Amino acid sequence: MQSLIVGDLKIEALENGVPPAVQLLWKGKSNERHPNEALAPYFREVLATAGTRKLPIELHFEKLEHFNSSTITSIIQLIQDSRARSIKLVLVYDQALKWQKLSFDALRVFAKDDMLELRAA
Amino acid sequence: MGNFNFSIDLPVRSEWANVDLLRTSVQNCFTAIFSDIEGCHSLAMVTGELIENAIKYGDWSGTDEQRFRLRVWGEGRSAHISVENPVHSNDTNADQVMQTIGWMRAFPSSIEAYRAKLLEVASAERDPGDSKLGLVRIAYEGNCMLSAELTRGVLRVQAELTV
Repeated sequence: MQSLIVGDLKIEALENGVPPAVQLLWKGKSNERHPNEALAPYFREVLATAGTRKLPIELHFEKLEHFNSSTITSIIQLIQDSRARSIKLVLVYDQALKWQKLSFDALRVFAKDDMLELRAA
Repeated sequence: MGNFNFSIDLPVRSEWANVDLLRTSVQNCFTAIFSDIEGCHSLAMVTGELIENAIKYGDWSGTDEQRFRLRVWGEGRSAHISVENPVHSNDTNADQVMQTIGWMRAFPSSIEAYRAKLLEVASAERDPGDSKLGLVRIAYEGNCMLSAELTRGVLRVQAELTV
């Protein structure tokens, strides 16, 4: 998996977790006007890789400084797409950061089965 | 945060790069003054989302200087963030902003409104660019009271936070 750099955002891709997973480490700030133009094709590639290798996807936001609401929309689309392909998605956030706790606690509205896990680090 | 009085009033060029410049400026200014880092982050997030909306939906077709007005001020334990931008006479965005604010008030709490908006975004067609998720987010994450007013072709959206 390639990493993604778009504006102030870097998403570093790793494939060596325990248990194995496609890990995406978000760093910096996601503040583009149309973040989905870069994120949607990248997420398609991630879903294809995870699907082929039968791995879950872990998104790590602990090092992320900020994301705008357009980025949240892109993440919601990834939640929908991963569920449609029966690929488990894990969102890991830093609960000590109030903004992350608020943002990701609200996304629990989508955690209606074990295909989506929100994990406080 | 303790009691404070401050005021910032800026005419800002309508350029996307200014969203993050101003968001981080607000955050840095208030971090320099107050010890509540999380409260400063909330102020900055609210500022950023309001500016994004002004740049996205403002009418920047005129020949005059293309600027919006950002004001951030506070007294006591209240902070206010106001963004004003010109709107086109045929534009529906201002109505949508006011409808969204009214829609939010129908919920018992901002978290319930935000969850409903997240589900609405999820059920929408791809790229629901005008979902107004940002407005609902700042009411929830920023713990803000939102208001909006359209006067003589200028939309003003204002957020009030208790800090």
